Amino acid sequence: MRRFWCFVRELMKELSDQNAYARHLALHGVPHSGEEWRRFSEERMSAKYSRAKCC
Amino acid sequence: MSILWRLLWAAISLAAAGCMGFVATERGEPINSIWVVIAAVCTYLVGFRFYATFIAAKVMTLDDLRATPAERLRNGHDFEPTNKFILFGHHFAAIAGPGPLVGPTLAAQFGYLPGVMWIVIGGVLGGAVQDFIILFCSMRRDGKSLGAMAREEIGKVGGFTALFTVLLIMIILLAVVALVVVNALKDSPWGTFTIGATMPIALFMGLYLRYLRPGKVLECSAIGFVLVLASISGGQWISHSAQWAPIFTLTGIALAVIVILYGFLASALPVWMLLAPRDYLSTFVKLGVVIMLAVGILFVRPQLQLPAFTRFVDGTGPIFAGKIFPFCFITIACGAISGFHALISSGTTPKMIGRESHALPVGYGSMLLESFVAIMALIAACSLQPGVYFAVNSPAGIVGVTPDAATATISSWGYPVSAADMGTLAGDVGEKTLFYRTGGAPSLALGMAHIFAKSIGGQAILGFWYHFAIMFEALFILTIIDAGTRVGRFMLQDFLGHFYAPLGRTSWMPGVILTSAAVVASWGYFLIQGVRDPLGGINSLWPLFGIANQLLAAIALCVATTILIKMHGAKYMWITCAPLAWLVVVCFTAGWEKLFSDATRIGFLAQADQLQQALDAGKIAAAKVAETQTVIFNARLDAVITGLFLVMVATVLIDSIRVWIGILRGTRDTRINETPFVPTELRPEEI
Repeated sequence: MRRFWCFVRELMKELSDQNAYARHLALHGVPHSGEEWRRFSEERMSAKYSRAKCC
Repeated sequence: MSILWRLLWAAISLAAAGCMGFVATERGEPINSIWVVIAAVCTYLVGFRFYATFIAAKVMTLDDLRATPAERLRNGHDFEPTNKFILFGHHFAAIAGPGPLVGPTLAAQFGYLPGVMWIVIGGVLGGAVQDFIILFCSMRRDGKSLGAMAREEIGKVGGFTALFTVLLIMIILLAVVALVVVNALKDSPWGTFTIGATMPIALFMGLYLRYLRPGKVLECSAIGFVLVLASISGGQWISHSAQWAPIFTLTGIALAVIVILYGFLASALPVWMLLAPRDYLSTFVKLGVVIMLAVGILFVRPQLQLPAFTRFVDGTGPIFAGKIFPFCFITIACGAISGFHALISSGTTPKMIGRESHALPVGYGSMLLESFVAIMALIAACSLQPGVYFAVNSPAGIVGVTPDAATATISSWGYPVSAADMGTLAGDVGEKTLFYRTGGAPSLALGMAHIFAKSIGGQAILGFWYHFAIMFEALFILTIIDAGTRVGRFMLQDFLGHFYAPLGRTSWMPGVILTSAAVVASWGYFLIQGVRDPLGGINSLWPLFGIANQLLAAIALCVATTILIKMHGAKYMWITCAPLAWLVVVCFTAGWEKLFSDATRIGFLAQADQLQQALDAGKIAAAKVAETQTVIFNARLDAVITGLFLVMVATVLIDSIRVWIGILRGTRDTRINETPFVPTELRPEEI
């Protein structure tokens, strides 16, 4: 049961881009800040929303 | 395989065959939906365990020692090895749209059996195979897109045609899904307020995420969800308010204009402001409701009230015209096979696969789950009384413009329903009327609301569940509209940039406004056409969308076949050629009928000719002349687009067959354009 909830939490963090943001911070070795989130989300969203969404 | 496993798989196979046999042969009495659920799930399990693993082992020879693009090109953004279960959820969330919900609901006009058979068999042998093989091909080519693979494997003509087809399909897709929302919200103050409230909620979420609590997406989505639930309750109050209800009671045209303006704003505004927060919210709501529906169906186990076959298999259906073959198979696209999935399978997902073997559950497994969503939608629709189902979904132009006329027509078909029953049902869900709500969304919401209400809350909160279901459908349809308009804008800017460079810059505001307006005007035109159509719009637009989507699947299968032939010669080409041949026959038959059928409800040209003759003979009232001329123009435009789709796919098909013959005869280059083998260094704990 614990593993299941762990999976659900991880899936939600992946879907919400929070995991991707954590990877971004680790990769660039920078701490979390509003400015860093805005930089990350702009880059991520411009890639994400240049592709068609499925019907 | 041990003897115990063999016995277990034999039992699952027998259960699949037995339940499918029962579903297929039972006539007369309503059957319980649990038979359909067991038949579908057991068939999926057998398909996954035997057919998919055969393809993975013998055809693709998936190799876990080979480094995937996610490992080799790892950048923390697009390319990132991801846990297979998480990627499964991610991929499923990306491929699941309104298609598997709306298509089966509309196709229920033929009865439950054609839909069940096509969704299960088409999913296992067609859709899941396409998604899996395209994912594999893209994964072995550094995550290349379908268009890029078509260009590389088939040639420039195939590549260009694939790209152009995508743009054209998107325009039709956006129009048809917008029409579904408009028809669901027409004259519904409760629904209109609820969906309208999601816009300020999304704006609030955007500002919250950007300035108040940056990065806290889950927290922000939870707040957004609570606000959306509050807006559903608020909508009930609005619908009872003498002052506010008229403000939110809008006609189809007014709603269409609002949706068009919304699409324009969402395309031109920064993504963080409206599009991204709505997308986060809709993803969570979508997954949550799918799980709720599955649990609800298992808990309630509703009876299927619609028969196995209705009288409308002969092509005289009120929801859309056309015989069971080919129209059932283009009406249900996404639940069985969908070309759009090939874009996702060659988009984000191949860049996130950590081990090659993960492509099996992610590519094949996600499509099976999508197929199951379609089965659940079909069950929800078929659990309605047939008279109610047809009263909700039939346009006034077919059944009559008054409730009494509509119920008399529907009852005369053998599906009894009364205006009083419909009035009571409308009152129970907080609507003034449920007649003529074409598009599938309201009837699906009714079916879902009954299932949810039997699980939690009972009849007293049927109205809440109905509007919850409408909110769920509209929320992610609007996400598709704003994201699709934006993608269309990028494609157009890319194209126009060749003629005037500033137009190609996505930061140049005049270019952004001009191209956004052009894309919105394109799908908006078809939306207005659908809203004004006396036959409900769905009759002409949904088949057009279905044909387009299936033709894109045909292009994807052409690419997949070319790659399989390069890998193994003719030995395994049947795996993709069988679904390809079926799709070509279905789509070209449907396209031909939409173009040249003499029946005016089916053939675009016959409809235009009939109206033109009536116009020439002076049989059209003076006040209706301009409107009739528009309908004639629209029918001819739809005919041109259908013809264009068929010509483009015929081009790709002929080009592909030329390449296949060349490869098999040894006169063409058989080089596989895969990236070279690099051994993996990924540790198990990293994925």
